[in-house]
Amino acid sequence: MDARSLKEKIFLVTIFALTALGVTPVFYVLASVIYKGIEAFTRRGIGIIVKVNGGILPAIMGSFALSILSTVIGVVLAFVAGLFVAEFPNSRISKITKVASRSLLEVPTVLLGMLVYILLVVPTGHFSLLAGAIALALVMLPYVMVHVEQALESVPQIYREAGYSIGMSRAQVLFGITVGIAKRGIASGILMGFAKAMGETAPLLFTIGAARSSLPCSIMSPGDAVPLMIFQYAQMPQEYYHDLAWAGSLVLVIVFLLVFVIVRKLIKEVKY
Amino acid sequence: MDHAIVVEKLNVWIREDHVLKDIVLKVPQGYITAIMGPSGSGKSTLLRSMNRLVELIPGAKVKGKVKVFGKDIYTEDPYKVRKDITMVSQNPNPFPHMSIYDNVAIGPRIHKLVKNREKLDELVKWSLEKAMLWDEVKDRLSDPPTVLSGGQQQRLCLARALALKPKILMLDEPTANIDPVNSKKIEDAIKALVRDEGITVIFVTHTPAQAVRVSDFIAFIYNGKIVEYGLSRELALNPGHELTEKFLRGEIG
Amino acid sequence: MKGDKLLYYSLFPFAAIVIATFILLFAVISYTSAPAIKEYGWKLFTSSAWSPSEMGPESSKYGLLSPLYGTLVSSIIAVILAFPVTISAVLVIEDYAPPRTRDLVGSLIEVMAGLPTIVYGLWGLEILAPLLKVHVYSPLHQLLGFIPLFSCRPFSGYNILTAGILLAIMVLPYMVAVARDSYRSIPMTYREAALAIGANRYEYAKIMMGMIKPGLIASALLGFGRAAGETVAVALVIGNVPLISSCILKPGYTISSLIANQFSMAPLYPYMMNVLFTGGLILLMIGVIANTVAVIMISKSRLR
Repeated sequence: MDARSLKEKIFLVTIFALTALGVTPVFYVLASVIYKGIEAFTRRGIGIIVKVNGGILPAIMGSFALSILSTVIGVVLAFVAGLFVAEFPNSRISKITKVASRSLLEVPTVLLGMLVYILLVVPTGHFSLLAGAIALALVMLPYVMVHVEQALESVPQIYREAGYSIGMSRAQVLFGITVGIAKRGIASGILMGFAKAMGETAPLLFTIGAARSSLPCSIMSPGDAVPLMIFQYAQMPQEYYHDLAWAGSLVLVIVFLLVFVIVRKLIKEVKY
Repeated sequence: MDHAIVVEKLNVWIREDHVLKDIVLKVPQGYITAIMGPSGSGKSTLLRSMNRLVELIPGAKVKGKVKVFGKDIYTEDPYKVRKDITMVSQNPNPFPHMSIYDNVAIGPRIHKLVKNREKLDELVKWSLEKAMLWDEVKDRLSDPPTVLSGGQQQRLCLARALALKPKILMLDEPTANIDPVNSKKIEDAIKALVRDEGITVIFVTHTPAQAVRVSDFIAFIYNGKIVEYGLSRELALNPGHELTEKFLRGEIG
Repeated sequence: MKGDKLLYYSLFPFAAIVIATFILLFAVISYTSAPAIKEYGWKLFTSSAWSPSEMGPESSKYGLLSPLYGTLVSSIIAVILAFPVTISAVLVIEDYAPPRTRDLVGSLIEVMAGLPTIVYGLWGLEILAPLLKVHVYSPLHQLLGFIPLFSCRPFSGYNILTAGILLAIMVLPYMVAVARDSYRSIPMTYREAALAIGANRYEYAKIMMGMIKPGLIASALLGFGRAAGETVAVALVIGNVPLISSCILKPGYTISSLIANQFSMAPLYPYMMNVLFTGGLILLMIGVIANTVAVIMISKSRLR
């Protein structure tokens, strides 16, 4: 073997080894969460999932409420803003909107929590699920927008032309044809934004108030969320709380993997 | 002879390019007119200027008049214009997210042309029959159009355009990307439509043979200008211009 | 056209909200940090003292130097570790692996991107840090203790290096995504040209990577920005001690973990909230600068 092909061999072995090393943590993380999560449930009983005091029910209920609220706020905003950007790509406002949304994508999410703290928590005088939901909606917004835009832009121009050539108005073409054809891509974008927001912790630190001794009774009352509970329980000295943290992680990971599988299926079926 | 469309001194620019130059054209009513020319001659743009689809091209600017049945379409609502002059595009583009039935029914539905389901069913059947597709799809109307071949999809697009019962039908190189058998069916369908329904057909083609075979009148366009316009047979036998002669002989691509 | 205008103006308000959010973010964070900057001035960025007092601004000491240092160092470590893996993964996924392996690696990286950051944090806290301390840091210190980076004895697994390693894992999928986009934008003709001159796979990769250099820089910058902004996972593993040391086996602090830890106490002490917002302002600037330069790099890397 000459030096040149030896070099090639070493190179190939190196890149495959590095790639393998790079993806190893995902197995390790998933295995740890599944193992420790199941261990926690067996040690503390499956009942912790429906227990209010000393259980994870308030966090799950809080996350559930937050997921609905933030999805409603974030998705409507992102969907319509995404439509605007994709439908009027040459307008100045559209270009600025695109820049703003791409920048929001790179803004640390902790700052979005700080923003909502000043704008909503300070004026109302208390933490609330609504404040948390708005912060999460802002996290979701740029993600969903990017996916909505991409889904709409991937619809071939010939279908728009077909719509116009039978006398459809611009709105009819947009909502009846373009959105219709792109609906799977849009749905998967929404799901991805949802999953992203559900796993977020930092924006909730300053907004929902970590009220975990009782269930939230309205969207204006403080509440808890699974990621926030994990963050705070992980720092407690007692084993019991660590177990709850792992149990919460298992719940989060299951939800995430479910969304991942659905998104995969949706994207695979997209064909024109 | 009545004229369905009268184009008066039409000029079109796309960004810096002067694509159509002083086009004057009278399209006779109830006949088939072919706009023939090499690629890049502006023939598709001319077609799109007659239903205002040209406005979808970024940077397009239109000057001049296009009168359809006496009315200047550039002073009217473009969406209404396109309802009365429907168009079939070069590449088959049935809506992939709708069934075969819905693809034909969408036009009448959005323009509220029919009152009830039975009438809509009839109209869909009529359109598919006129597009010579009914026998092939009557048992699978609820399937998506993606199950059809390219040629069948193109005839589905023809049916979609016919469902609005247009007075004028435009086709942009409708057979450029499909097989000879399907091309023949589309050509036959067009001829039958003019003969039986009396509608006016304008189509764009880059093959002289097709223009002569299908049309009653030919407008030969080259480099954004109409070089020659006349009865198909006369133009084919006695081209009045050197360029036309060359194009008919296949010397201009 | 009337219908078009109507559509435009009915969608417009939503786009306006997006723009307004971005502007508000800047305005609110700047406005809230202003009092701290006015009160403490440059001392805020040149000292590492952190002793809040209820008595007033004169007796409380706030300095962001250590968290700023920790943010930069842990993020740089993350990018240095993730960068070679990024390049390898892009080549493996795009060119060198058989199709099934490609899909598998691609999916795994997508899962990595989507896992909640708090899960990484908990894993880092309970699994990774103890493991690294025993199996990596102790031997590392014994063998390479003469290098300043590893000169201190690792008392625990919670230190700047652990934060850097965890961040490397977390930003890897983003860096791969950005680099992959650039790699895909290389036109076929260039690929053919490289192969036509008889390049083997190593030489081919070298030519291709040279071609998308700006894209790779963008990937590193965006990875850096993400790492700098990451909050909870880092807060769980970095040790949260305001130190500045050349040894990366010592605990440290980052701006975001400082914010996460101190925020609940901030309303009790004068100016503390404002100081934390100043930290936020720094994070925002890091994010915006990294993003802007990355966008410029990406537009430069378009070969088509």
